[in-house]
Amino acid sequence: MAFATAGRSMKLYWGSGSAPCWRVMAVLEEKGLGKYDSKLISFDKNETKSEEIMKLNPRGEVPTFVIGEIVINESLATCLYLEDTYKSSGVQLIPSDCPKKAQVLQRTFEAPGFMKKGLEDLGYLYMEGDVNEEEMKEKKASLKAELALWEGYLKAAGGDYLTGQDFTMADCIFFPVLAVMVRLGLALRPTFPELGKYYETVSKRPSIMKTWPPHWKGTEGKKWLNNVC
Amino acid sequence: MADTGKDMLLYWGSGSFPCWRVMIVLEEKGLSDCEKKLISFSDKGHKSDEILKLNPRGQVPTFKCGDIIINESFAACLYLEDTYKSQGPPLIPSEPARKANVLQRMFEEPTLTKKARDDILLLYMTKKPEELDQEKMTKSKAALKEELALWEGYLVKAGGTYLDGGEFTMADAIFFPSLAILVRCGLKLAPTFPKLAAYYDAVSKRPSVEKSWPPHFRDTEGKPYLADL
Repeated sequence: MAFATAGRSMKLYWGSGSAPCWRVMAVLEEKGLGKYDSKLISFDKNETKSEEIMKLNPRGEVPTFVIGEIVINESLATCLYLEDTYKSSGVQLIPSDCPKKAQVLQRTFEAPGFMKKGLEDLGYLYMEGDVNEEEMKEKKASLKAELALWEGYLKAAGGDYLTGQDFTMADCIFFPVLAVMVRLGLALRPTFPELGKYYETVSKRPSIMKTWPPHWKGTEGKKWLNNVC
Repeated sequence: MADTGKDMLLYWGSGSFPCWRVMIVLEEKGLSDCEKKLISFSDKGHKSDEILKLNPRGQVPTFKCGDIIINESFAACLYLEDTYKSQGPPLIPSEPARKANVLQRMFEEPTLTKKARDDILLLYMTKKPEELDQEKMTKSKAALKEELALWEGYLVKAGGTYLDGGEFTMADAIFFPSLAILVRCGLKLAPTFPKLAAYYDAVSKRPSVEKSWPPHFRDTEGKPYLADL
């Protein structure tokens, strides 16, 4: 059984600082599958378009993930596959109880919209250097409104994590995105104290510490999202 | 005794592909007794108090199962498949290679939506012709054509009628509505994409899809934004 090999038949191509890659890595750790073959690529050297990756993923993107003969790309697909296939291994990330299951699934699938507002429509544009500050103002306001929603979710859940006391798939999918935004200068406190506390708590979780983007350690992030909150 | 969905409530809008997905899954799982409330986008029905109480984002689909609220189309579809696994056909196969393929295709659909809707259709719908960057539109259309070629390849690879071969799965419930919107907007699949054209015809005739076909599509013509692709 694959979980008995702790992930040894698995291979992940990933890049440091990529939230989608981080999601998969967090799930692998939580499920006790941390012994996978880890292939770190360089975005700067355009290694996502290498022959090795293109053969497995014609989109030339990471995360690209292989288990034996099976290839499964797209971070959400990989995370859901791992949780479903290794349900009884490690932490159960999607509850079986219907109301909790519904809440975890909903928060999980609200995360892509959060990523679009904060990274695809905002943070990444700064990275590409293609920035019109007037347009950015509206997008920053939109991100602030989105953050307020998540602040409310945390407050209502009343625990350490997005859906309460248990760390779930919702946190695996949401936290890496939040962390990238913080790296790009997002200051959660004082405007969003629940999110601030959440960020600190999850940062200390072993699976998250283990998979923290290596190039972030000991270096400064950007200040692009400084004035959002 | 099988659940027929009579404790369920779905707020939906005609032509919304996320709503269409949920409606297809409800039909496939034998949950057709779900109460369905049609809202009008032009009357801002999705921002009604009734919906905002259940979904602070003021969006459809907004979905209730008894007391459980579950918004976001992917969340609702996955919740229904998991909770009613024993009803109707299995929309996510349990065999690992099939499961991986279905999950991956499901989560590639947002890339199609980005290239088609965000980068092309939304611009046509919200901007005046003279406000459009024609060079950018040409590039976006070329990118969409490349994306469709990928999906054509996926159908060839799967070797059957559907995205995973011979069986209709969640991948089709997620992908087909998006494809149908593109066809509605003038996209001609044949002769360039013969497998996609055959796919479109076959899936259009599936009972769950016929039953949930956007009502206003039957009475009116779409705008031919993609006719020159």
